[in-house]
Amino acid sequence: MSELKPAIRLVDLLRLRRGGWALAFTIGAATLLAVVALLAISGWFITAAAAAGVATVALLGFDYFRPAALIRLCAIVRTAGRYGERLASHHAALGLLKDLRCRLFDALGRRAPSAARPGPGSAAAMHRLVTDIDQLDRFALSALLPWAWAGLLSLVVMGLLAWLDLTLLLVALPGLLLAWLGLPLLTLWQGSRLARRDAALAEARREALVEPLSAITPLLLWGRWGQMQREVVGRDERCLANQERQQRLASLVGALQQGALGLAIVAVLWWGAPLLLAPEAADSRLTVALLLAAVLALLGLGEILAPLAGSFVSLGASLAARDRLNALVAGTPGEPASAWAPAEVGGEAGGELKAEAPAAPWSLELSGVGARLPGALNGPEGVSFTLAGGEVLCLSGPSGCGKSTLLQVLAGELAPSAGECRLNGRPLEAWRLDETIGYLPQQWDLFDMSLAANLRLGDAGASDEALWALLDELALGDWARALPRGLDTPLGEYGAAVSGGQARRIALARLLLARRPVLLLDEPLAGLDAATRARVVECLLRRQGQGLLVVASHVPLGAAAQARAGRVRMLRLGEEGETLP
Amino acid sequence: MSATAESPTPRQRLARCLAPQRHWLRGALLLALSGAVLLVAQSWLMAALFSYWLLAWQGLAPAEAPAAWWLPALAACLALRPLLHAGREALSRRASRDARAALRRTLLERLGALGPARRRYGSDGALGAKVLEQVDALDGYIARYRVQSRLAVLVPLLLGGMVALHSPLAAGLMLLTAPLVPLFMVLVGRAAAGASRRQLETLARLGGHFLDLARGMGTLQRLGATAQAGRRIAAASEAYRGRTMGVLRLAFLSSAVLEFFSALAIALVALYLGLGLLGILPWAKGEVPVIYQSALFILLLAPEFYAPLRQLGADYHARAEAEGAMDELAPLLDATPWRPEARRAPALGASPPRLDCRELALFGDGGRCRLAPLTLSLAPGERLLVQGESGSGKSSLLEALLGFSPYAGSLRVDGVELAELDRQAWHRRLGYLGQQPPVLRGSVADNLRLAAPAAGDAELVAVLERVELWPLLAKRQGLATVLGERGRGLSGGQLQRLALAQLLLSEAPLWLFDEPTAHLDPDAAQRLHGLIERLSRGRSVLLVSHEADGLDWVDRRLALAAPAAARDPSAAFDLPAAALDTAAAAPAVAAPAVATHRQETPACQS
Repeated sequence: MSELKPAIRLVDLLRLRRGGWALAFTIGAATLLAVVALLAISGWFITAAAAAGVATVALLGFDYFRPAALIRLCAIVRTAGRYGERLASHHAALGLLKDLRCRLFDALGRRAPSAARPGPGSAAAMHRLVTDIDQLDRFALSALLPWAWAGLLSLVVMGLLAWLDLTLLLVALPGLLLAWLGLPLLTLWQGSRLARRDAALAEARREALVEPLSAITPLLLWGRWGQMQREVVGRDERCLANQERQQRLASLVGALQQGALGLAIVAVLWWGAPLLLAPEAADSRLTVALLLAAVLALLGLGEILAPLAGSFVSLGASLAARDRLNALVAGTPGEPASAWAPAEVGGEAGGELKAEAPAAPWSLELSGVGARLPGALNGPEGVSFTLAGGEVLCLSGPSGCGKSTLLQVLAGELAPSAGECRLNGRPLEAWRLDETIGYLPQQWDLFDMSLAANLRLGDAGASDEALWALLDELALGDWARALPRGLDTPLGEYGAAVSGGQARRIALARLLLARRPVLLLDEPLAGLDAATRARVVECLLRRQGQGLLVVASHVPLGAAAQARAGRVRMLRLGEEGETLP
Repeated sequence: MSATAESPTPRQRLARCLAPQRHWLRGALLLALSGAVLLVAQSWLMAALFSYWLLAWQGLAPAEAPAAWWLPALAACLALRPLLHAGREALSRRASRDARAALRRTLLERLGALGPARRRYGSDGALGAKVLEQVDALDGYIARYRVQSRLAVLVPLLLGGMVALHSPLAAGLMLLTAPLVPLFMVLVGRAAAGASRRQLETLARLGGHFLDLARGMGTLQRLGATAQAGRRIAAASEAYRGRTMGVLRLAFLSSAVLEFFSALAIALVALYLGLGLLGILPWAKGEVPVIYQSALFILLLAPEFYAPLRQLGADYHARAEAEGAMDELAPLLDATPWRPEARRAPALGASPPRLDCRELALFGDGGRCRLAPLTLSLAPGERLLVQGESGSGKSSLLEALLGFSPYAGSLRVDGVELAELDRQAWHRRLGYLGQQPPVLRGSVADNLRLAAPAAGDAELVAVLERVELWPLLAKRQGLATVLGERGRGLSGGQLQRLALAQLLLSEAPLWLFDEPTAHLDPDAAQRLHGLIERLSRGRSVLLVSHEADGLDWVDRRLALAAPAAARDPSAAFDLPAAALDTAAAAPAVAAPAVATHRQETPACQS
C-alpha cells in the first residue's frame, strides 16, 4: 500500500537531484585528480630533470615543455575545480532542500486533520522538522560524495602502482585498503549509532532546561532551582559525552587511517628501492622519478581519505533526521493517522472513490454521542439533537464541558466514543466532507503573508471586491482601509500584528470565503464588543442560508439570533462530562 | 567584575572564558608544532633516500650510503604524526568541553540569581537557546580556530626557514605569497562572513515560512488550501536558492584564493627547481642552483607550507560564529543580579508579615523608571488587588517584593528592611503564582512535592480536594496521573488550580499573584478567583490582575499609573512624591477601597 512507503528514503536524496550531484562529483573528481597529479608530476619532473642533468639537455633534448605545461594545468584545474565543485554541490543541495520541503509539506498535507495529534504544544517538534530537513543535505555533501571521490582516487592510485609494477601494488595493498575501506567502514556502524543519539540527547537537555526555566520563580521560592540546575548540567554532560565519543572515534580512526597510509608508503619504498636497483630491472618501467611520483600520489591520497573517518557523523545525523521526518509524517506511533478508522481502510486512493459529497437539504442528527480527546480527563457524553437546514445550534456551558470536543466530532476530526452522528441520514464517515464542512476551531492560524493572501486561502479566485465586502460585513473594513498597505499589508509572523478579536474575524472571513454549507464555529465571538458581535452574528446568519450552523460560544448570540426565534436552538452542556437535556 | 567602565569586546570575553583552559590549548599547540617538526624530518629523510637511490640507479657512487635506520625512522615519522594530530584534537576538545560547561554553569547561576527579572533578557525560549545553542557555538572557535590561528603563523615560518637553508629564492617565493593569503582571507572572508550571515538569516526566514505554513496545516486542510500553500513554499525555496547561490559565489572565492596560492606556489617551486636542475633557468644557464636532494625536500614541504593557512580559512567562520554568540550572551553575562548582604535572619513566623513601603521606587537600565514612588502598607491578613495598565510597574513591584530587584526608598517586612533579610528565609514565607503554572512533566504527586518534598499522599489528596481537582483526578490514576509537556492533560484552569494546591502545601503566609487568570477563559477565571478567595483566608495576598470580575472580595484595590518617561538615575530621588496617603496610596489615582470583607463565593453568572 502506498501509505506504508516512507516519505523520504536516502535513495531519494540522490535521485531527486541526480544531475546536480553527478556534476558536482565530476568536477570534484577532476579537482582531486589535479591535486594528486600536481604533486606527483612535480616530483617526477624534478627527479627526471636531475636524472637528465645539465649536460644532457642540449644533447638529448629533454622535453621540459610538456611536464611544465601539465604542472600549470594541474594548478589551474585544482583552483577552478575546487570553486566549481563547491558551487555545483551547493546548487544541488539547495535544490534538494526545495524538493524535500515541498515533498514533506505534501506528505503532511495528506494526513487527515485530527484532534488526536498534538497541536501547537509540539512547536518544538515542528521546529525540529525544519532543522531535520537541513540535516538531510549532509548525507550527500559530507557522506556520499567524499566516499565516491575517495573510491575513485584510490583506484587511480592503485592503477598507477600496478602499471609501475604489480608487486608494488601488492605490498601497498594492505595499508591502502585499510585506510580506504577497512577502518572507515568498521566505524560506520558504531559511529552512526552514536550520531543518531545526538538529537535525542540534545532534546532531553533542552527539556530539562526550558520547562523549569518557565517556572523559575516558584522553584526558587521552594529552593528547588539548584536541583533543576544540576539536572541540566547532568543532561549537558551526557550530551557532550556522546559528542566526545563520536569525535574521539573520528579522530582516532583518522589517525589510524593516516598511519595505514604511511604503512603503504613505507612498504612501497622498502619494496621499490631494491626493485629499482636490481640489475634485471633495467628494462622495467620503474624509474626513480616514477617511484617518487607513486609515493607522492599516496601522500596526496591522505587528504582525500581523511573525510571518511568522520563521515559516519553526517550519515548518522541524516539517518536520524530521515527517521524522525518519516515518523512525523506517518503520525506519532501508536496513534491512528486519522481519527476515522473506516476512512483509513479505503486508503489514499480510495478516498476519491469513497463517497459522494452530500447536498441540500441539510440535516444533522446526533444520538447519544460521547467523545474524549486522548489524554483528556473529560468530554461530552450522551449528546443528542437534530438540526435541520437553516437552523442554528448554539452550544453553551462552562469551560471544560466539551463544546470544542463535540465540534471536533462533528468536523470528523475525532471519532466519537459512543453514539452516532448522521448527516443527511448517513453516518458522517460515509460522506466525502472536504468541500462541505467549514470548521473554525479555537486554535486557528493566520499566516505570515498579506491580509489578502491569508483570506484567499479560502478561495484562491476571490476578487478584491469580494474580500472588501466580507471585511465590511464582519466590521473589519474600516480597520483594513486604515492599514498602510490595505489588503497587501503583511500580517506578521503568526498574525502577530493583529489583535485577537481581529485575527479571529479574519480567520472567520477566510472560512466564509470557502462557502461551506455546514459551518462549525468554536467561540467565533470571543473578545468582541457587543456591537461587533451583533454584526458578526448578522453576517453569519445571512451567509448561512439553508445550510447548517453550529456555534459554540460562552456569550449569547444576541438580538439578531433572537429575531430568528424558532430557528435558533440552544444546547447547554454540563460541566465535566454530564449532559443537560 | 566586568560590568564596570565599558563592556569588553566579544574577543576579550572569549579570551577570559578561555583563560582557565590555556594549559590544554598550549598543550595542543605544542603537539601540533611537534607534528610540524616531524614533517620536516620526514621530508628530509625521504629526500635523502631518493637522492641516494637516484645516484645509485644512475650507477654513480653515492657520497654516503643511507644508514639502516633511515627507512624505519621515516616509518616512525609517518606513524607518529597522525597520533600527534589526534592528541592535539583531544586536548582542544577537552578545552572546548570544559570551557562550555563552565560558561553554561555560570549562565544557569545567573538565571537563578535573576529569577523573575530574567524577562528583561529575553523570553524563556530565547534564554534557553542562549544557554544551549549559543554556548555550543563557541566549540569551533575553541576546538579548532584558536590553535590553528597560531599554527598558521608558526608553521609557515618554520617551514620557510627550513626551505631558506636550502634555497633562499624558493623560500622567498613562498614567504612572499604567504602574507597575501591572510590579506585575501580577511578581504574576501569579511565580505563572505557578512554575506553568509545574511544567508543564514534568509535561511531562518525560509524555515520560518515553512514552519508557519506547516504548523497551520490543520487550518490549510480545513480550507482545502494545501496545494496553494505548497506552491508558495516551492516559490519561496526557489527564490532562496537563487539568493543563496549569489552569496556562495562570493563566499567560496575566499577558499578559491587560498587554493590558488597554494597551487601556484607548488607549481612555481616545482618549475623553478626542475628547470634549475636542468640548468636552463634564464638567469642561471648551465648551473644547478639547488641540488636534487634539497629540491625534493623543498617540494615536499611546499604543500604543507600552505596547509595550515588553508585550514584556517576553512575554520574562519568559526570565529565569526563564536564572536556572534558572545555578543548574544553579553547582556546576560553583564547582568548584575541584586544580592545584598543579608544581615539579619527574620524571626520565622508562620503568621502573615506586615509590609510597609515608603517611597518605594524601581529603576531599570539607564535610569528608566519602572515603578514610580509608592507608599503602601499591607496589614497581616490583608488582601490587596493591584491594577494598572501595562508599564505601570505591577510586575516590577512583585519583583521587588520577591527580593530580585534593587529598590529606592524603603520596603520593610515586620519592621526589617527587605535588603537586610536573609533571602532564602524570606522566600520560604512567600507563595507566588504567575500566568504560567509551575507544572513540569511528571506525575501530579511529583509536581505537588516540588513545593513540599516531605508531604505524604494523604496530605496531597487533601489539598487536591481543597482546590476541587481530586474528583477529576480520582477518575484517572489519582496522584500518579501523568502530565505531559506544559501540563498537557489538564486545562489551563485546572493547571492553575494545581498550582494553588502547591501554594497550600508550601504553607507560606504571604501570597503574591501575577495575572494568574491571564490565559483563562472568563468561566475558569471566575472559578479560580473564587478558589483564591476561599483558600487565602488568614493569609496576606497581593494580587496583580487586569481582571476584576470575581474579585470583589479583596479588602482593598490599588491602581498604579504608568511612571513618567525615562529619568536620569541621579534625578531618581527627586521624583515628585505623588498623592501619597498611607492608607491606600498610589502615585496617581487610587480606586476607592472596596471593603466587602470575606464575602461568600461569588455567584457564577451564567
